[in-house]
Amino acid sequence: MGYTFTLRTIYPYLGTLWQAAGLTLALSLLAIVISIVLGAGIAILRRSHSRLLRFIGAAYVEVMRNTPLLVILYIVYFAGPSIGIRLSSFNAALIGLSLNSAGYMAEILRAGLIAVAPGQFEAAHAQGLTALQTFRYVVFPQVFRTIYAPLGNQVIAVILASSLASAIAVDEVASWMETVGSTSFRFFETFVVAAIVYLVLCQAVNLGRLGIGRMLFRQGAVAR
Amino acid sequence: MNPVLQLDSIVKRFGSRTILDTVSMTVNAGEIVCFVGPSGTGKSTLLRCVNGLEQIQGGQISFEGTAVLPRSIGAVRKRVGMIFQHFNLYPHLTALQNVMLAPMVVHKEAKKTVEERARALFEKVRLSHRINAYPSQLSGGEQQRVAIARALCAQPHLLMFDEPTSALDPETVGDVLGVMRDLAKEGRTMLVVTHEIRFAADVGTRMVFMDQGKIVEDGDPRAMIAAPKTERARQFLSSIHG
Amino acid sequence: MTVDWLAYAPLILRAAGITLWLSWLGMLVGAVGGTGIALLRLSRWRILRLLALVYTEFWRSVPILIVMFFCYFGVPLVLGIDISPFTAATVALALHASSTMSEVVRAGIQSVGRGQWEAAQAAGLTPIQTMRYVIAPQAIRVVLPPSVGVFITTLKESSLASIIGYIELTKTGLLIRDSTDGGFIPLLALAVIYFLINYAISLGGGALERRFHIGRRLDTVGAMA
Repeated sequence: MGYTFTLRTIYPYLGTLWQAAGLTLALSLLAIVISIVLGAGIAILRRSHSRLLRFIGAAYVEVMRNTPLLVILYIVYFAGPSIGIRLSSFNAALIGLSLNSAGYMAEILRAGLIAVAPGQFEAAHAQGLTALQTFRYVVFPQVFRTIYAPLGNQVIAVILASSLASAIAVDEVASWMETVGSTSFRFFETFVVAAIVYLVLCQAVNLGRLGIGRMLFRQGAVAR
Repeated sequence: MNPVLQLDSIVKRFGSRTILDTVSMTVNAGEIVCFVGPSGTGKSTLLRCVNGLEQIQGGQISFEGTAVLPRSIGAVRKRVGMIFQHFNLYPHLTALQNVMLAPMVVHKEAKKTVEERARALFEKVRLSHRINAYPSQLSGGEQQRVAIARALCAQPHLLMFDEPTSALDPETVGDVLGVMRDLAKEGRTMLVVTHEIRFAADVGTRMVFMDQGKIVEDGDPRAMIAAPKTERARQFLSSIHG
Repeated sequence: MTVDWLAYAPLILRAAGITLWLSWLGMLVGAVGGTGIALLRLSRWRILRLLALVYTEFWRSVPILIVMFFCYFGVPLVLGIDISPFTAATVALALHASSTMSEVVRAGIQSVGRGQWEAAQAAGLTPIQTMRYVIAPQAIRVVLPPSVGVFITTLKESSLASIIGYIELTKTGLLIRDSTDGGFIPLLALAVIYFLINYAISLGGGALERRFHIGRRLDTVGAMA
């Protein structure tokens, strides 16, 4: 076979790789933070007393879970100019990614809230805790425990999904692979390097999650 | 007489169903009132109205001279301890942390004072060896005794027990009732919703029989068990006695 | 400029068919491969279990888009063969689906109690017969509902084939957009069509779930696409 695997050929491109990895990381982290906030809002809508608000929350989740992220990114990116707003590629990707991830975050947070038994609120109220104290000392620690693992999965999902930003010209890692691959014709090497970047990011999240989990949740402290 | 709690023709409705139908009664300091009656007759709801877990639609409740209203409910809850059928311990906290939470957060007491008192209470409920266990590691009876310690640690003027032994395995019921007997001997004011007629007879100073949202009979436990004045009370007592 | 959008309906319908075919193929190959990986994960030999674990973890930690790039641009360079966008997309979808499906199938097999193996073996069934007649029929109840979720994910992921130039639903929408006024109506239409297809599948999956009284739509890791 005429192809020899030599990483040396892509040394000149490693400088741009760091920038690309930085963009992937920035895009993912921002999208995660924004989608947690948005998702919390939607989860609260889904527990509202109003049927209309509950429907809006549920519809949002269904739309986001059943529509490809790529199509959402295109809509955000191309819709802007059509209605007179110019979004940079990065901002469009951030908005699209956050909107999409919020649908999943909402479900994760909702499951976390459902897992807190009604008796917990009653016990806290009976003891005279205010609404804020109840949230801080009783509800949040329990919700956090329930959502901890799925939240980690979602963080990984967002990091992987951020690769689609390359489709709307954000120069992150997938885009780096495509550009460097097509200029140097070293697609094998660029693939390996890009895969390693994603692997490192995802496994860092995984290991961090395990380590922090062990620190936070001592044995036996499982909700009943 | 020193009234702790006064209910003045209170009415509680869930939708169109009336759960408490103009109920009036006065509880004096040191009384141990046992509420008995068929399930669904509003005994638990009555307790839950006292500390505002349920809103009343009519009448008035006053605790130690102040009306129980949404804006005063915080002050009332500080002085009323409640023990639930399903314990409702906080699963993410150890037994000790469960007991210490409210005194520190609600009553703003110093950690050291609270911890001293909490440890003494664990001795009282005979669970000193389980102080660092999480609720999931405790048996039902142990969880309920932690819940009692949790209520006591806030130094309440009134203790309310909502079917405290109904969710327990038979072999652990005795431990919980034992702790409750000890509390009764200290002269505490207690409201107990229970199906344990023997406990009511031995420990209660007063028994209230409720049926369909009304107080049907109210008097000395032993006298009521021996000779119920109403036909409904007689039927009920013989049905659970036998 | 007014556009007669309805004129594009047959084109869009055909494209939706292509998307369904591509996803179905990827899912099918992925399910078969995933079953194999699941069996490796449950193998007696540690080295096989480890290999299977590395396989699943790898595909779960690498975005499907760069896998598609590699299959389409890289493999022809490395192996010196021509690969069509369709083949590249199918392979990438299948690789990704196989890692998720291996977890689903593993959970399914493990849901069948140890006693079933022992009973079957005591009755003289070979391991393959045990799998075929005893374990599989029971595991399928646990496997089917989450498989619907995997299929929906695969269907959404199939939109990435448009990036390597395969003309499926998304690419068709983009081409229509280019040939009309460049507005975002074709894109919105795309979103609606994908939503309708996936929502219908997910409703079907819900019915399946209720029939089997078990399982849950699986869309945690890498489900965003």
